[in-house]
Amino acid sequence: MINAEDLRFSYTGAPPYVLNGIDLDIRNGEYVSIIGENGSGKTTLMRLILKFIKPTSGRLSVDSRRIGYVPQRSDFSNSDFPITVFEALNSYRKLLKLKDKNLVFEKLEQVGMLSYANALIGTLSGGQSQKILIARAIMGDQELLILDEPSTGVDMNSQQEIYGFLKKMNREKGITILSVEHNLDAAISNSTLIYHLMRGQGHLCTPKQYAKEFLSDKGSVSFNA
Amino acid sequence: MLNYSFMQNAIFVSLFISILCPCIGIFLVLRRSSMIGDTLSHASLAGIAMGLLANINPILGAFIFTSICGALIEFLRTYFKKYTDLILTIVLSLCVGTAITIISSGKLRANADSFMFGSILTVTRFDMLLVLFLSAVSVLTLILLYHQLIYISYDEDAARLAGVRVKLINYAFSILVASAISASIRIVGVLVLSSMIALPVATALQLGKGFRTTMIFSIVFSVTDIMLGLFISYYINVAPGGFTALIAVAVLVLVLIAKKAKSSFSVKTLS
Repeated sequence: MINAEDLRFSYTGAPPYVLNGIDLDIRNGEYVSIIGENGSGKTTLMRLILKFIKPTSGRLSVDSRRIGYVPQRSDFSNSDFPITVFEALNSYRKLLKLKDKNLVFEKLEQVGMLSYANALIGTLSGGQSQKILIARAIMGDQELLILDEPSTGVDMNSQQEIYGFLKKMNREKGITILSVEHNLDAAISNSTLIYHLMRGQGHLCTPKQYAKEFLSDKGSVSFNA
Repeated sequence: MLNYSFMQNAIFVSLFISILCPCIGIFLVLRRSSMIGDTLSHASLAGIAMGLLANINPILGAFIFTSICGALIEFLRTYFKKYTDLILTIVLSLCVGTAITIISSGKLRANADSFMFGSILTVTRFDMLLVLFLSAVSVLTLILLYHQLIYISYDEDAARLAGVRVKLINYAFSILVASAISASIRIVGVLVLSSMIALPVATALQLGKGFRTTMIFSIVFSVTDIMLGLFISYYINVAPGGFTALIAVAVLVLVLIAKKAKSSFSVKTLS
């Protein structure tokens, strides 16, 4: 699904690189969490995969055009935009040229937000607006879902609902999920693979391997993957 | 008053611009780019000066030069990504410089002053047809690009991912802004044109409604502002542009007071 070879990126086009020789191979149906410290290049890698920015060098291919994207809520600061939940989703449906008008209500029902169709997006809580962004991301028949820190600013109950929903989409519908995570527990509990980025380079491992290697002295972590 | 043909022309043109300006303005305000309206209204003054100098219709001159400046703003975004306000200063300098140079040269065959303050006496039959044409094309384009423009303003990344050609649509939008400004310049005048683009939208935003409802209310406020401004300015014999801006500010203040009173009433009822 996603393949990168010796991928490099710098915002100036010259060293030092934010991403410095990334090799990555993600297959269909995986749930991959990208983790790493602030400034390690997590969001940059995600934006490269989304083709919002171009690599400085190296190769990157994504074998799907049906991609859903859930931005980081703190980046998505347009919360005072006068738009209702229905308008935001319905306009997106029109952009994707999807003819079925019921899709909006169908997706809202899937994320448990049907009763909020006429609410202004700016009046929703963190968890509620995250669910709306997920409903938008799964509009259409998406094969790949990319999320940027889905639990930031979201209460515990909503976090559980969101991760439960993502796992369901991954396990039951086979949707490949790539999630930039700051929530280590969520990454270890939900992912099938973890991509750990450090100083512009990364390696892919299973949650068990990651916990053994990096978290051995930080207490117990549950494995549901 | 309505028996005068100049007043009929003015009402006709005002009705079109009062619908067109907020339709364009809502996207400018929500992109936090309402000052583009101010920059492009100065571009229209340079275009008018060029039109008068070349002996072509000044509104046509304004439309051509304002479209070029709108496209230039879009083009310069690539070079000044982190200093977008600087782009407006650069284009404003170009426009004001051009306008002042031409007007002060003394080579114009007509007076450009009426375009600064707006005038209802100078609307010609050709102006009316031009405004009708520009408004019709603009409204049609807005209807066609409605969802794309909403998403570019609301979430540009999501729009791009959905396959929207953001750059191309931004260029098309620049021409729409140029068109609205050129259509309005005769009545409203350069100096207060940006307020006609932004103020009705600012008033409608106070109502806290969804996008479509906000757009409808922006049009309602705009028609109210411009028509009241036109009629009252006729009776008190002042330029319509300036008085319309005053009415627009007054309506905004009234809505803000009503909003405050409503929220105070709600708090009292609850307690």
